[in-house]
Amino acid sequence: MTTTASTPSSKETKKEAFGPVGKILGELDDRLGVAKGGRSLMDKIFPDHWSFMLGEIALYSFVILLATGVFLTLFYVPSQTIVVYHGSYAPLRGQHVTQAFASSIDLSFEVRCGMLMRQMHHWACDIFVGAIVIHMARVFFTGAFRKPRELNYTIGVILLILAIGNGFVGYSLPDDLVSGTGLRIAFSITESVPVVGSYLAFFLFGGNFPGTAIIPRFFIIHVLIIPLIILGLVSAHLFLLVRQKHTQFPGKGRTEKNVVGAPMIPVFAAKATGFLFIVMGVTALLGALAQINPIWLFGPYDASRISYAVQPDWYMGWLDGALRIWPAWQLQAFGHNIPLEVFLPAAVLPGVVFGICLAWPALERVVTKDNAIHNLLDFPRNRPRRTAAGAVMLSFLMMLFIASSTDVLANYFKISLNLMLWSMRILVFLIPIITYPIALLICKELQNSPEGGKRKRANVVLRSAEGAYTTVQAESRPGDGHEELAAEPVPTFIDLDEDDGAESADGGVRRVER
Amino acid sequence: MSNTHDEQRTPVAITTATADDPHMQPLARNPERTERIIALMMLVGLVGFIGFGIAYWYNADAWVYGATIGAGAVFLGVGITAWGKYLMPKGPFVEERHDMAGTAEEREAFAAAVVQRGGGVLGRRKLLLGTAGAGLGVFGAVSLFPLIRSLGPLPGKTLTETDWKKGSYLVDQTGRPIKTSDIAVGGVVTVFPKGYQDTENGQAVDQTILIRLSTVDLTTRKGRENWSPAGYVAYSKLCTHLGCPVGLYEQQLQLLVCPCHQSMFNVADGGYPTFGPAPRPLPQLPLYVDGRGYLRARAGFDQPVGPGYWERS
Amino acid sequence: MTTTASIRRLVLPVLVLIVAVLSGLVMFTGGSSGAADTTTTTPVIAADTVDQANAQALISPAPTAKHKVATAPASPKAAYQTSVANAGTPNSSVKVYRNGSLVSYGNRDITYWAPNKELIPLGEALYQQNCASCHGNNADGVPPNQTPGAYPNLRGLGPATIDFWIESGRMPAANPREVQAVRKTPRLTHDQALAVVAYVNSLSPATPYIPRVNRLASADTSSGFALFALNCAACHTITGGGDALAANTYAPSLRNIPATQVAEAIRTGPGNMPRFTGNLTDAQLRSVVGYVTINIQHPVDPGGIGLGGLGPVAEGFIALILGVGVLALIGFWIGDRT
Repeated sequence: MTTTASTPSSKETKKEAFGPVGKILGELDDRLGVAKGGRSLMDKIFPDHWSFMLGEIALYSFVILLATGVFLTLFYVPSQTIVVYHGSYAPLRGQHVTQAFASSIDLSFEVRCGMLMRQMHHWACDIFVGAIVIHMARVFFTGAFRKPRELNYTIGVILLILAIGNGFVGYSLPDDLVSGTGLRIAFSITESVPVVGSYLAFFLFGGNFPGTAIIPRFFIIHVLIIPLIILGLVSAHLFLLVRQKHTQFPGKGRTEKNVVGAPMIPVFAAKATGFLFIVMGVTALLGALAQINPIWLFGPYDASRISYAVQPDWYMGWLDGALRIWPAWQLQAFGHNIPLEVFLPAAVLPGVVFGICLAWPALERVVTKDNAIHNLLDFPRNRPRRTAAGAVMLSFLMMLFIASSTDVLANYFKISLNLMLWSMRILVFLIPIITYPIALLICKELQNSPEGGKRKRANVVLRSAEGAYTTVQAESRPGDGHEELAAEPVPTFIDLDEDDGAESADGGVRRVER
Repeated sequence: MSNTHDEQRTPVAITTATADDPHMQPLARNPERTERIIALMMLVGLVGFIGFGIAYWYNADAWVYGATIGAGAVFLGVGITAWGKYLMPKGPFVEERHDMAGTAEEREAFAAAVVQRGGGVLGRRKLLLGTAGAGLGVFGAVSLFPLIRSLGPLPGKTLTETDWKKGSYLVDQTGRPIKTSDIAVGGVVTVFPKGYQDTENGQAVDQTILIRLSTVDLTTRKGRENWSPAGYVAYSKLCTHLGCPVGLYEQQLQLLVCPCHQSMFNVADGGYPTFGPAPRPLPQLPLYVDGRGYLRARAGFDQPVGPGYWERS
Repeated sequence: MTTTASIRRLVLPVLVLIVAVLSGLVMFTGGSSGAADTTTTTPVIAADTVDQANAQALISPAPTAKHKVATAPASPKAAYQTSVANAGTPNSSVKVYRNGSLVSYGNRDITYWAPNKELIPLGEALYQQNCASCHGNNADGVPPNQTPGAYPNLRGLGPATIDFWIESGRMPAANPREVQAVRKTPRLTHDQALAVVAYVNSLSPATPYIPRVNRLASADTSSGFALFALNCAACHTITGGGDALAANTYAPSLRNIPATQVAEAIRTGPGNMPRFTGNLTDAQLRSVVGYVTINIQHPVDPGGIGLGGLGPVAEGFIALILGVGVLALIGFWIGDRT
């Protein structure tokens, strides 16, 4: 048995067959040794399931954030120096505002495409965190965090925390009334930490609130420090994904020891590039047609001004909801004060929530005593207790998020604000409690009906001329290939000569082995 | 030896498929028609991008930029994706997962390298290990000092004290002192101590809300009998929950509601919280009326203003 | 499934429920602070416990003074006096008299005027038809055969107050027991309203008169914005959409209110709204009214659809549903379903 590569004559014919490109690739291989690794990368198989694309939404949103963010940094001035606004928005003209605010307003009104870039940046951030959450939910419900992927899962949770933090820091940069109120709250939360709180707050803000240091510091945190960490972690996340290969759902031809799907080049690259443009397009359409964060309507931040119906961005909403419904506890003893009504919902609660997320792989390993390597995913219905636990966590967070708009809901439904608050205090516990048995029930039901949730091939009823009815199955649809064909390895050479098809017995795949 | 490594890492099979292999066929039932549709979509995308260029050149309204480039990108993206999904080889293709873990021998060898070569070397010179470790540890600790301590001043007087003193005039945001005849019953105004612009604290900490109640509505607490001349009460505007300005006053309910998290403070009775997450009452500023009718502070606040913190006693 | 197995299924949820109820009891009987020593607090009245006696308590809370505070006597007229430096009253403005009575006063910014006295007979007839059943035959808040103080006393409030309540449609109230009267289509026409204003004012003449903002289109919206942000946004929100306040009260939306009513509300402080008199000059009032009628009511939305000005929660819903949702659906199309 000889390989095609080791025969000099066939090597040369092949080189001639691939022309100048082949020559360039050969030169690259001489210097970098990319021939084998490059081909294996190109042949890499990515499973095709639609739920695996949710992480891509997050990745492409991050790319959009970087691109639009670079544009914004070229115009935004991270300074709290007071200037007089002289731009085109009349109700602000002549007012004393910080340079950060003035440059953000100028970016929106005076710079061509500035409004689009600002709005795309903000929409992309909301979509980024949303996609991370829904991707994390997919990973959780299908058990993709199990061995050997615990590290990747941990990196993902840290990425979520960083994304939320960077979003908060980012929307505080324009120094408008709404985000400035959030800064005041952030100062007080930092202050509330026992023993070191006031030191932390004064160190972070460079003095008492508001000071003049926080906006420039937040700028560097938002533009340099956190994005660098995110870039590093995303690279690690993707590297681990490529090295460990993606998981896949059980199905025809799929085992723990293989991956079935589409090759990187050309199919996956085409779909991924296309999806990148689609994500960019949807974000641009949102940035054009839906107004977000209209800072000119809010005006500059002033420590004695406040607006009603102020909320943080949605991914911080659960913390705001917890702060609203928490009872007015405080601990005052031995000359010291611990503001529990701040510290518990704003510092301990997120610590517990993210702690549970981070500890879940270990928790599940202890409970199920399952230390095996898993490359096949679970269907959520087949793991009812895990699914129900995840549903409980999601419903709890959602109730907290709804609690952050008690005043808006009370206004809309014409209910008393006091009644609304008390209802939320009860619902925040009641809804997750009833979610657990309901989720369990749904899983068990779906388990018992094996056809449940699956798309079935339609039956087409045909009537002959004599009046007889026959039933045939409808034509196969795109995506049914998995049902019909057995998976084959990616072919290296594609023989365009059509005569060969008739000669081989096995459908024209000629294997040449080393 | 190197071959086994290679075999584990890269697919060894070099295969050939014919062009009419079912795996190489496109998914579309009518590839020519599909290709035409996809080409049309790409063209629409192209038109969108050109539209963006034209809109930019002619300085169109803000929404036109995003609408053109967005629609263009969506159509182009759908086209490329459809190309990948419907016109490229439909597969399915398979790849073997080789065990990432090494053989038992390799694992032993790795462990040996770490424990014997690495750990053994360190273990033999325990003195050096100890001193080097201590050095690295102290380096790690002290290198954090500039990153933390240099950032800001220690919390000092500004945390506990405001600029309100005995005799401070109450001025509004324009600096005009308030007279008792200025505000009607049921009126409210944000006030600061005169000269607040020149202080370190500034308005963020000193801000105070001045409310005029009718004298019959006022309930005074023990020790505050002369704090509210002519029905005027003044409270720190910083909410004791998280420091938002408590600007929302309901004059019939006599409640100050904090807009952030809806803590409610009873204005007629010492600013005590009646609802919501705030745990402590709003500090009250004692007032008096001087000979010319101006409202002035009898003293500063009797406790630190704003949210709680560890050192607050 | 056997009975023991089905009972066993319920153990975990029931345990969780018990823990939740216990922790709920522990948490919520902790209660808020503010245990009073020798004082009483104004009760926060929930909607469903409002009755006629309590309705009065909402309007002017019962006297609970424990200690006497030495002050100048508070008469209704004195409550509206402002200092010489400030406007809103006749003290500082150009005055116009006719037949010995003050017809209007004002300056370049605001003109305060009272309706013609000839409307008084018509006003009396309209008043008896529409208002006397609650506010009493003498407009003193004592309805026929009912308890004194059940409804507001209308004497000495001034034309601006009466005009505001009638022309915003809040009065006559559809439901006299509700906590806060709702703005609705006015039942009286503009001239009828002025007639009632003239009559009620004649019973006990007072100020402020009805404000008319002069040269509204050229108002200084910039200083109006600053004043609005400091004084109004805390209740009405910075975009003027209004929001729910304590105990079933609410700050109404400002998006559909004529300029006169904005000025009237600011000067008279209707309901739970504070009263801005000496702390807002007529020039400042004009800028605030200008900002509300020009910018709040016709906002610049260059970024696209305004999403109702509801803020980040609405934006979050759009991002999740239209952003992530649509993209996930597109992913559903791109990928496989097996």
